[in-house]
Amino acid sequence: MSVLHEGSEPVRHRGPVRAPQSLAGGLLLIALAALALWLTRDLDQGTLNAMGPAMLPRWLAIGVGLSGLALLAAAFLKEGDLLERWSLRGPVFVIGAILAFAFTIRGYAFGSLVLPGLGLLVAGPLAIIIGGHATPEARLRDLVILALSLTPFCMVLFGDLLNLPIPVFPQALTGLFPADWSQKAVLRATAAIMAGAAVLVFLTTRGRRQASVDVADHSGRI
Amino acid sequence: MGDFFSNLSLGFGVALSLQNLGLAFLGCLVGTLVGVLPGVGPIATIAMLLPITFGLDPTGALIMLAGIYYGAQYGGSTTAILVNIPGEATSVVTALDGHQMARQGRAGVALGIAAIGSFFAGTVATLVIAALGAPLTGLALIFGPTEYFSLMVMGLVFAVVLARGSILKAIAMILVGVLLSTVGTDLETGEERMTFGLPFLADGIDFAVLAMGIFGIAEIMRNLDHTEHRDVVRQAIGRLLPNKDDFKQSYKPVLRGTLIGAILGILPGNGAVLGPFASYTLEKKLAKDPRRFGRGAIEGVAGPESANNAGAQTSFIPLLTLGIPPNAVMALMVGAMTIHGIIPGPQVMTKNPTLFWGMIASMWVGNLMLLIINLPMVGLWVRLLKVPYRLLFPAILMFCCIGIYSINSLPTDVMFIGLFGFVGYMLIKFGFEPAPMLLGFVLGKLMEENLRRALIISRGDMMTFIDRPISAGLLAVAAILLVIALLPSIRKGRDEVFTE
Repeated sequence: MSVLHEGSEPVRHRGPVRAPQSLAGGLLLIALAALALWLTRDLDQGTLNAMGPAMLPRWLAIGVGLSGLALLAAAFLKEGDLLERWSLRGPVFVIGAILAFAFTIRGYAFGSLVLPGLGLLVAGPLAIIIGGHATPEARLRDLVILALSLTPFCMVLFGDLLNLPIPVFPQALTGLFPADWSQKAVLRATAAIMAGAAVLVFLTTRGRRQASVDVADHSGRI
Repeated sequence: MGDFFSNLSLGFGVALSLQNLGLAFLGCLVGTLVGVLPGVGPIATIAMLLPITFGLDPTGALIMLAGIYYGAQYGGSTTAILVNIPGEATSVVTALDGHQMARQGRAGVALGIAAIGSFFAGTVATLVIAALGAPLTGLALIFGPTEYFSLMVMGLVFAVVLARGSILKAIAMILVGVLLSTVGTDLETGEERMTFGLPFLADGIDFAVLAMGIFGIAEIMRNLDHTEHRDVVRQAIGRLLPNKDDFKQSYKPVLRGTLIGAILGILPGNGAVLGPFASYTLEKKLAKDPRRFGRGAIEGVAGPESANNAGAQTSFIPLLTLGIPPNAVMALMVGAMTIHGIIPGPQVMTKNPTLFWGMIASMWVGNLMLLIINLPMVGLWVRLLKVPYRLLFPAILMFCCIGIYSINSLPTDVMFIGLFGFVGYMLIKFGFEPAPMLLGFVLGKLMEENLRRALIISRGDMMTFIDRPISAGLLAVAAILLVIALLPSIRKGRDEVFTE
């Protein structure tokens, strides 16, 4: 796991900063306040009698900024908490999974590059497999089985039973099935195929995994 | 009194229809199923399950949502007892003695007394809501914008006082929350504020998106930082029904817990969160042998669990009568109601009595369901808890994505839960508590509206908030609370309550 700031150092820093957590928090608040003030710079503040759109945001931003300054001051005056350990792996993969889901569920256009809408069929497994790698203990086999079994479940639950307006599969998929099949029939057939694939992966890779566990076990004993 | 009974019977007529019973059952079941997952609190549960209510009529949807809410609450307690991972702040206390009981092979009794205590508390709280509903709705009529604004200020001050850790940080979080609520088109002038010119921000930030990011996604990121060490009880669950001695020890704590929880739950500003802590402290003070607490004392489960459930339920009162959500879960309920075309507030009761009383009666039905579902299904929950987190969190992640996408069918909403998730993760790392921010966000829009209206009425005179007696009283309470919370001696006590 990659560590940005080591929080649990045995020896504490002896610098002017006595509470690094408050320092970081204070800076964050000041940055936020500055952003809000900059964004509302062109808006009219109005008077108390007839408030303009900028009145409340501006005063709130000033309040946030003052809190930030107070925290900043406290960081130099009072002993406080150190920053906790950070790891980038978790947030990067989790956000990656969310973005992958968002871009593939309905199709997305980045200027000239247009992603087709792939529906839950693709977005769901992508989210599970990318997101699953957020922990160092991730195992691809387990994630693939999870993706292949949970996605058809969600497709049937949300698309078929609950009729939510969520795209389930790419339109091109209907071409693969007999022309007189309805959307729902295609959905159910796809879900069944995926669930079947999950069982297949589970059964065919089962032996291999046990073997590897066995090997580890033996080497451990020797 | 006659009104009270005719209203309740109207409510039960609605709630006991076959369809609504089924919905309450289903809501409780899926609510518990998701709520039991470690690291998933009621807010994330409701946000995730919100879409499954879309196809229903408003009454059915609200009944199901209430079921999901209670299910999620109870699921959190189950996790606290069996795994020592409290899903949310209110079940922290249950974990103390509940988990110890589980380690002594009394998990079944702990779960049983939690369910029975919750059921009793739920029954009382339902009656309290039914009794207070009508008179408090009358109160709403004498409240003008000035009073509403002051009431919300008081609620936010409560939230500051009740937040853990530094008061300064809690105040900053509230301000940030209100600031976030001002993003979007200004209602009076139609000018866009802080939208970066992005069209999907013109309507403001969606509450469900913010809540899901801060409480769902950030929680996943935070859990991933800690190497997993889940202490699922290996001992047998044991018998579920408490015996005579257990009942003898716990009936008084249940009564006291219910009373404390019901009163604190009504307070705006998430008073419900204080209920379990207050009940635990009280039981410990009253006990003949306080050393038993923390080592599996049944009173330490019975009292706080009852307080928790009573508070969870009476916190509907400010929402249903005044239209002010007292905490983040209720704010999510506002969102859910608005989707179904109901704007919470005093007018619901007069305009839509079947819905109002049906929902109240279904609260009791929901509590009964929990008692029926949970006890026989404990085995299933235990198995669910043994699923490793590395498989659970990708599933939670996908359900979050699907849930948030189906609310507005906007891919940008999905991206924003990622952004807010990261912001929430940073806030946690910097020692800020996200709950007050969410409350600030919830009340922000209402506050701005009422502030503007109040100032237009008074022609820009700020003194109106002090000149009007009710408003002055509310502000005085807020000021006194803040001063008390800042006093050094009380601060120490407050820290003790939260670290316990």
